[in-house]
Amino acid sequence: MQTWDLEDFGEVKSEKLKSELLTVNMGPQHPATHGVLRVEIKTDSEVVAEAIPHIGYLHRCMEKHCEALDYRGVIPFVDRMDYLASMSQEWTYVLAVEKLLGTEVPKRAEYIRIIVAELQRIASHLMAFGTYALDLGAFSPFLYAFEERETILRLFEEVSGARLLYNYIWIGGVWNDFSDEQLKRVQAFIKHMDKEVDKYNNLVSHNRIFVERTANVGILTLEDIRQFGATGPVARGSGYAWDLRKVEPYGLYDQFEFDIPVGEGEEGTVGDCWNRYMVRMKEMKESIKIIQQALDGIEAGDIQGKVSKVIKPPKGEVYMRTECPRGELGIHLVSDGSKNPYRLKVKSPCFTHTSMLGHMGPGQMIADFVASIGSIDIVLGEVDR
Amino acid sequence: MQHQQIEPISIKEYFGNIFSAVKTSLKGMGITIKYVFAVKPVTIEYPDVKEVLPEGARQRLYNDVVNCISCTNCALACPVDCIYITSVRRPKSDDVPKTDDGTAKRQILTQYIIDTALCCYCGLCTTVCPTECLTHSTDYEFSQYTADEMKYDYMAPDIIAWRDRIVK
Repeated sequence: MQTWDLEDFGEVKSEKLKSELLTVNMGPQHPATHGVLRVEIKTDSEVVAEAIPHIGYLHRCMEKHCEALDYRGVIPFVDRMDYLASMSQEWTYVLAVEKLLGTEVPKRAEYIRIIVAELQRIASHLMAFGTYALDLGAFSPFLYAFEERETILRLFEEVSGARLLYNYIWIGGVWNDFSDEQLKRVQAFIKHMDKEVDKYNNLVSHNRIFVERTANVGILTLEDIRQFGATGPVARGSGYAWDLRKVEPYGLYDQFEFDIPVGEGEEGTVGDCWNRYMVRMKEMKESIKIIQQALDGIEAGDIQGKVSKVIKPPKGEVYMRTECPRGELGIHLVSDGSKNPYRLKVKSPCFTHTSMLGHMGPGQMIADFVASIGSIDIVLGEVDR
Repeated sequence: MQHQQIEPISIKEYFGNIFSAVKTSLKGMGITIKYVFAVKPVTIEYPDVKEVLPEGARQRLYNDVVNCISCTNCALACPVDCIYITSVRRPKSDDVPKTDDGTAKRQILTQYIIDTALCCYCGLCTTVCPTECLTHSTDYEFSQYTADEMKYDYMAPDIIAWRDRIVK
């Protein structure tokens, strides 16, 4: 029988009892990570000491696969990167191919592209708003957001045939035309949406409980934005007025009047979760303005420009970037003159923003870290591709 | 590792916080109560009530083999290669039958299979079809127990029977 010496216990008490960091895996199946992101967190009691994002759970070899497809066949694959904002992704790719080919796009198609891209931005921001509230424990805003998003998706389904993965914007134009009745419905929707955004602001944005959870949490300074290369609402939330629709206008955006909303620090400090969230709410209002101008300016005409049956762009390479709902999406397309792209490289905004988690995490409570992940609004389909 | 320090606040701030929390929450509650009484339900009780999809919706593919000229344009356009077509040349002695829109069928179609499990519903195949015999139907309930059952042989008589339902 083993005998115990009391002095052993004394030793344990004095020397061996020490604290150490506990590793917690948040994800891959965690509801607050918006997909299959795994964040390895080293925690000191409830405070995050270190956060390491691990990605790759949704990798589908999309870039390599596109090299085996013809230029039209790539569009459905580009859709599947950011499945919440497919229209914007398609548009970026199509603009890249059109730049390579030098195709002229009819005026009506340009207006339709702007209408669908801005509707998509509203739908994407609604999703960001709904899931962010869900992350912080409020369920009903999610349902209110989905009710409006459904109107947009139904309209897209009628026009393009699908609810999420549209394959609607084609090289040289768009697939289907909007009928007058559908344009009237867009008009009715944006009128309704304008009031809805105010409702969301009353319900969530200025709610004291929501503000306490998000204000002064996960602050990113302008220097951080510059160091990591963040774009989109994340950069604008830190007060950096950078919007490619203004800075480097594509499509017909140079003819439209709208403002770039930036974080102004009505609650908390500039660059915190609340300001990033608020930029999205303000952007929905700006999108409504743009759609209104597009509806006023749209004219009858063709929707498909002249493109040859087999697309063979000349040798060369092109880089195209556009302002997607989540930030700046860049597509680098290299052509060797054959009917398949030689190389397609995607610069994804969500990838950049995911890398900022390791910077935002340390020093936060775990519950605040969840608020931080939600506020950068990442879609893992685009991170991994 | 430094723990976060909670800054002390005055009694005025303390009660001010509670007051604004109650005030803004009541504002939100007003919206919620409005939804209880004034807004109609927007959801569909799915298995009982079936949603009718709009006309252009891209769901299950249907090929009307009577009008198919075996041009294989759809198989070439498919980005996931899920359409399998084989055909043989028609003997010269035979009469060349015609499709509904008058295109001559120079090949005899022997196999037309689409693996619906692979299909990504992008709609590229339907746009290249010269006789417009390959179309998306608005039929969205077609789950199966095995992946093999998702392979549709459009030459089979039970699928040809769809034609009466889909093609008008």
